[in-house]
Amino acid sequence: MASVKLTNVKKIYGKDTVAVQEFNLDIADKEFIVFVGPSGCGKSTTLRMIAGLEEISEGTVEIDGVVVNDLQPRDRDIAMVFQNYALYPHLSVFENMAFPLRLKKTPQDEVYERVTNAAEILGITEYLTRKPRALSGGQRQRVAIGRAMVRDSKVFLMDEPLSNLDAKLRNQMRAEIIMLRKKIDTTFIYVTHDQTEAMTLGDRIVIMKDGFIQQIGTPTQVFDMPLNLFVAEFIGAPKMNTFKTNLINEGGKYYVTPFGAKIEVTGEKAELLAKKNVYAKQIVLGVRPEHITLADENDPAAIACEIQVNEMMGSELHLHVIVKGGDKLIVRIPTVSLTAEQREKLTYGNKMYITFEGKVMHFFDPETEKNLLY
Amino acid sequence: MERLNALEYLKLSKSQALWYNIKLFFSKIPAWIKSLFVKLWITIKNFFLSLKEGALDIKDTFVKGNWAVKLSFVSFGAGNIYYGQVMRGLLFLLFEVIFIVYTFILPTGGIYWIRKVHWLSKGATVGTVQGAMKYNPVTDTYGWVAGDDSVRVLLYGLLSVFFVIAFFVVWRMQIKQCKINMELHGQGRKIKGAKDDLRSLIDEQFHKTLLTPSLLGIIVFTVLPIIYMVIIAFTNYDAEHDGHANLFSWVGFDNFNAFTDFGAGGLGLALGEMVGWTLMWAFFATFTNYFFGMFIAILINKKGIRFKKLWRTILVMTIAVPQFVSLLYVGQLFSQQGVIGAFLERADLLPQVMVAQNQMSLWSNPVSSKILLVVINLWVGVPYMMLSATGILMNIPADLYESSRVDGANSVQQFMKITLPYMLFVTGPSLLTSFVGNLNNFNIIYLLSGGGPTNTEIGTVGGQQLGHTDLLITFLFKVTTGSGSKYYLASVLGIFVFIFVAFLSLIVYNVMPSTKNEEDYS
Amino acid sequence: MKNNNTSLEKKSMSVKTLNAVTNTVIYAFLIVISIVWLIPFIGIVLESLRCESTGQVAYFFPKQIGFDNYVRLFKSDFPKWFLNTLLMGVAVSIFQTGFILSMSYTLSRLRFKGRKTLMNFMLILGMFPGFLTMILIYKVFSDLGLTMEMAPVGLIIVYCASSGMGYYISKGFFDTIPKSLDEAARVDGATRWQVFYKVIMPLSKPIIIYTILMGFMAPWGDYMMARFLIKGNDAGKNVAVGMYDWIKGSGDSLYANYTMFCAAGVCVSIPVTIVFMSLQKYYVEGVTGGAVKG
Repeated sequence: MASVKLTNVKKIYGKDTVAVQEFNLDIADKEFIVFVGPSGCGKSTTLRMIAGLEEISEGTVEIDGVVVNDLQPRDRDIAMVFQNYALYPHLSVFENMAFPLRLKKTPQDEVYERVTNAAEILGITEYLTRKPRALSGGQRQRVAIGRAMVRDSKVFLMDEPLSNLDAKLRNQMRAEIIMLRKKIDTTFIYVTHDQTEAMTLGDRIVIMKDGFIQQIGTPTQVFDMPLNLFVAEFIGAPKMNTFKTNLINEGGKYYVTPFGAKIEVTGEKAELLAKKNVYAKQIVLGVRPEHITLADENDPAAIACEIQVNEMMGSELHLHVIVKGGDKLIVRIPTVSLTAEQREKLTYGNKMYITFEGKVMHFFDPETEKNLLY
Repeated sequence: MERLNALEYLKLSKSQALWYNIKLFFSKIPAWIKSLFVKLWITIKNFFLSLKEGALDIKDTFVKGNWAVKLSFVSFGAGNIYYGQVMRGLLFLLFEVIFIVYTFILPTGGIYWIRKVHWLSKGATVGTVQGAMKYNPVTDTYGWVAGDDSVRVLLYGLLSVFFVIAFFVVWRMQIKQCKINMELHGQGRKIKGAKDDLRSLIDEQFHKTLLTPSLLGIIVFTVLPIIYMVIIAFTNYDAEHDGHANLFSWVGFDNFNAFTDFGAGGLGLALGEMVGWTLMWAFFATFTNYFFGMFIAILINKKGIRFKKLWRTILVMTIAVPQFVSLLYVGQLFSQQGVIGAFLERADLLPQVMVAQNQMSLWSNPVSSKILLVVINLWVGVPYMMLSATGILMNIPADLYESSRVDGANSVQQFMKITLPYMLFVTGPSLLTSFVGNLNNFNIIYLLSGGGPTNTEIGTVGGQQLGHTDLLITFLFKVTTGSGSKYYLASVLGIFVFIFVAFLSLIVYNVMPSTKNEEDYS
Repeated sequence: MKNNNTSLEKKSMSVKTLNAVTNTVIYAFLIVISIVWLIPFIGIVLESLRCESTGQVAYFFPKQIGFDNYVRLFKSDFPKWFLNTLLMGVAVSIFQTGFILSMSYTLSRLRFKGRKTLMNFMLILGMFPGFLTMILIYKVFSDLGLTMEMAPVGLIIVYCASSGMGYYISKGFFDTIPKSLDEAARVDGATRWQVFYKVIMPLSKPIIIYTILMGFMAPWGDYMMARFLIKGNDAGKNVAVGMYDWIKGSGDSLYANYTMFCAAGVCVSIPVTIVFMSLQKYYVEGVTGGAVKG
């Protein structure tokens, strides 16, 4: 249980390959932080610098106010779960979990107590005498988590712990980690490339790209108010539709004019635009697929488009449509809202009309790709 | 030449593609050689750049340093002690004291030996005092009065030079530490003390702990002797000039020049003979083993062949039985008195050419003994190849074969299109290793033919009869151990072997695919 | 339709018979190979039992069988040579394993400044014929009294000292162990030393045994270095040098000692073969691993 503070952390490989830079982050005690980003964005490198497995080229890492740059991993009082589990093949599950305690020369009674406790929580008591190779992927993952748990360490690091599991198991383990977190109640730093994991697990999310932090915020913040185009497209599945259009101001009201339609900007977004004194300009407009709705042909806000692919997901329908000018959009429609007749029409090659409300739009500068509302 | 892009290349027919690749290979050679020199040049340049950087760094340290740091420039370890690293500082100081006492103060110390060697000045002796029989008036007898021993003089001289180099390296090292300490102190960070140093030997600095014994062994028993022997190539060190009774002296490049002299007294022809056969031997020994071993492995691994383990075990026996036993025995089988040799003679199976020259055993004719060596080498070497080929064959993904069968390949096509390319790819680097191993395959040649039969056209080289089957390495052994012990010749031959191997490795590593794209087959 | 079927059937029949024929050919070939490979061993055993003469003869099967040669063998210097070699084998297998493992482990799993340089340096060093070093080493060793009858001790030092340079195969093995195991252990609180002996060593049994095996076998086959340090001293010989002198020695040495040589060959081969065959599995792993890794 500890706070972690990273100040101006930078990692350089070799002479001039920069993996991470300008990394500043304050992690509060007992917070669950998720680093998320595409591969090669520097998220794992940052985690490994906190763990002490990579040297910190510049800047400082503090755990509980102590600069740990020069400390060995074993002196940092951290626990870590690896992507490929990293279980010791020659040791039984029990000894695997007991390994950190044995190194600290903990008495056998206490070792037994703590290992069996952790095993109980994780539901792996019956496998304690087995060797790791006799376990399934999910069980191995539990052992790896168990080994980290018995340490009672200040910080709990997890490096893509679920990416080696199949989709179904991944969902299950994700739920278990959420429950686990309530039980062990310590500071978590979790690395993933999967935005769903990031959204569901994190108190706060750190979104990274090319070694730079793009945005730090709660799941709601990054979803509702993405700081830039990259975050907007990275968070949310299917990804946000973005396209170039114009923002105009008529009589104190803001309108966007996508593909010949004219839609008024409403609600908080309009207020913010006014506050920021944004005038008419070309922008990149972002609309999430789930915010697009079917429209009436005669509605001035309706956009005509043609269906290219329809994916029936069960509870919802994903439509890939193409609009005049060749832009492609994704539309997500809950199946319950559709009549059988309507559903019939939404197939390949058919024309349809879509629109979206003024309060769900995101505005980005086409040059800087920054959100205009920040 | 004109490079084709991927799509243009795909248009070529098979023969065109082959021709294109051959042209491409040769057209790349100049660029390749150029890049080699560029690399060399960059390495040299970087070395001098780092020297320059080091000098600047040293200057910087001196300018910024306090009195203790400045003192370290003459008195080692002062900067360490000032910053609390007492143990390190004292060790540095101790080193300096020992160095100064040994080099300058001891009467027979570093300077004494270094001056005695007369480094490389042609004609000068190594050491100055010649041992001799002298009259001893007290006992009224002639007795041996020992002079210098050149071998020892050169060795001590060399060690003293190393010591001087080490002195400067340590000097630089402790200055560097001063700088690190200064910086850490400036940032208010902790400076490591003796306890941290010791503790780090099993952690951060664990590599030092692990490497020290090995590296010490390598330096003392390989690096030093090799440097010494390279130097010997420029002397006339042999049994007559053994250093003790008779000093040896510097001869410049005479020993090398002898090998480029193809005239009557020169060794050029002898070297040519040896190099030619060494290369030929390495080539045949490597590739016959390679293909025959692979062939047998494929036969044994074929689906439906039973007793796989039995066949393998029989072959592996030859690895288990010490080579000199089996080689000496097999060699004797083919001698004139041996079972096979005698049979060949009785059954009149020896070629007429040999009989005409009264060469009654396969070992007495150059050609037949060379062939016999390659054949017996098969017997010795095939099991190794069979084993590694078996391992690799089992690693070839079975679905490759299945999909090729679905695509309509028969077993010959499977071998040509899957097995062979895969094997070649995977074993490429090890082919080089075994080629080099065969270049230096002393045991098999020396125990079987002993280098014989004698090459009468060349005659003696360095007091030793050159044989038709002598490799560089066996002849090196002969001139070293034979009467006359021409150590300087051994040294020159050793340098030739090195140049050879280095050259080959350089080419192979630059040409072979598997050293570059390791991922292709995985 | 029916026609088609029968032609397919025919085809499958012919594939079957073809397969049977090739298999027969392969069996015949393998049997021939086996005989060629076994004959020298059978020959050596038969020769060692031959009593009617001690020299080399032109026939394969002995006329008189007995253990005369073995009796003579144990009255000769051979037991001493055997012990010398055994001593060297044991010592080399211990020390060499230490050197090789520490070197290969360091180069494979620890990252430090100068690692690449060190590897290149050793690669280049290995291109010199190792025998060259013996000239100086002999000089120094003869001053220290480590030649002639003390040659076994000198040889142990020579075999072991530079053995770190032969790190390639075991480095290849260490390279295959996932790096995250080391990292996990270090996070769990282990020093690098503890990582080495608590995590990696227990996983490295095959390569350790392979290295020990190679170390044990080396002195049995070495002639070159041994000859140079032993010179002609009977007490200091290893089996290779001693037995070589029986065969290639001056005068009628071959006539007097040939059958005894064969008996000695049998005596040397049996223990080495037993050790080797019982650990064959590890040897094969080492060889194939090495070949794959290069």
